Amino acid sequence: MEQKELIEHIEKNFKYKKEIKVIDGKQFTITVEKDKVLNLLSFLKLIDFKQLALITAVDWIDEKKFEIVYILFSYSHIQQILVKTFVDRDNPQVETVKNLWDVASMYERDVHEFFGIDFIGNDDLRPLILHNWKDLPPLRKDFDSLKYSNKMFGKFKKDEEI
Amino acid sequence: MILSSTKELKDKGFEQILDFFRKKSLWMLHYCTGCGAVELPPTMTSRWDMERFGMGPMATPRQADLLLITGYLSVKSLKRVIYTYEQMQEPKWVIAFGSCPINGGIYYDSYSVINRLALYLPVDLSIEGCMPRPEAIIDGFTKLMKAIEKGEAVGYKKYKENYEWYKKNQREVLERTTPVL
Repeated sequence: MEQKELIEHIEKNFKYKKEIKVIDGKQFTITVEKDKVLNLLSFLKLIDFKQLALITAVDWIDEKKFEIVYILFSYSHIQQILVKTFVDRDNPQVETVKNLWDVASMYERDVHEFFGIDFIGNDDLRPLILHNWKDLPPLRKDFDSLKYSNKMFGKFKKDEEI
Repeated sequence: MILSSTKELKDKGFEQILDFFRKKSLWMLHYCTGCGAVELPPTMTSRWDMERFGMGPMATPRQADLLLITGYLSVKSLKRVIYTYEQMQEPKWVIAFGSCPINGGIYYDSYSVINRLALYLPVDLSIEGCMPRPEAIIDGFTKLMKAIEKGEAVGYKKYKENYEWYKKNQREVLERTTPVL
């Protein structure tokens, strides 16, 4: 399907509240409510968006929200869809999608480690990349990376001797 | 064997002879963490031909003399580097490439990259640059050879003497139990 037909198809068949925005000829975004993400993703999987390319998050600290982005790709339509949803920053929880795509469990571990977002239903959220991490999740905007680095690894100037 | 007599080994003159031979046969283990790993193949192969200095790559840390830290080092790989360094047989030397192991380089504000390698391992030689060209690497190697011949490159002895200090620094980063901030 062309992008136009695809968007019409989604508008017609997915009845819940949504907002569709075209980025360019190959990709567009769909923003939905948090509890309708699973419905939308399984609907998109049925219309041949078989690949989950990435799950990631954006920290909107002023609006006190996390934006969770699911990037889907279809080899038959040659289209990319960015499914977006917003969760509360103080209590970031969202349903897991690991039952739709197995690979999602890894992406969710990653997002959980770097943003502290909980994925309900994913019981394997062990640390994945960081070593022995005890602080705030490092990709949150209120985490001061420079301060952490100076305190943890020391601050060095050019000619300083140990 | 002649070498088995420890009295002779302690003899300074004998050590000097050993150092002369050591500097002519350096086997390096390059721990490819960062971008410096890219500079090593041209240094090894025909264009700059490292082997004319008697240096060659070695597959296992137990038979290598040189540990090359080629670029930035994250906390996770620091742990592996320490394992590797402690497996190596004496005498052993550490060379740090580029500015990242000196003061963090462009990763000065990173939450996962260490700022100064010398806090955790004894660095015998730092090659400046981001990244150093093969000429700079060769230059650094010849400097290290001179230091070995003079008996000045004694990082591994420093590591043994100040073992507690190094271990304390390593534990602070690797086995922390409380948050930093």
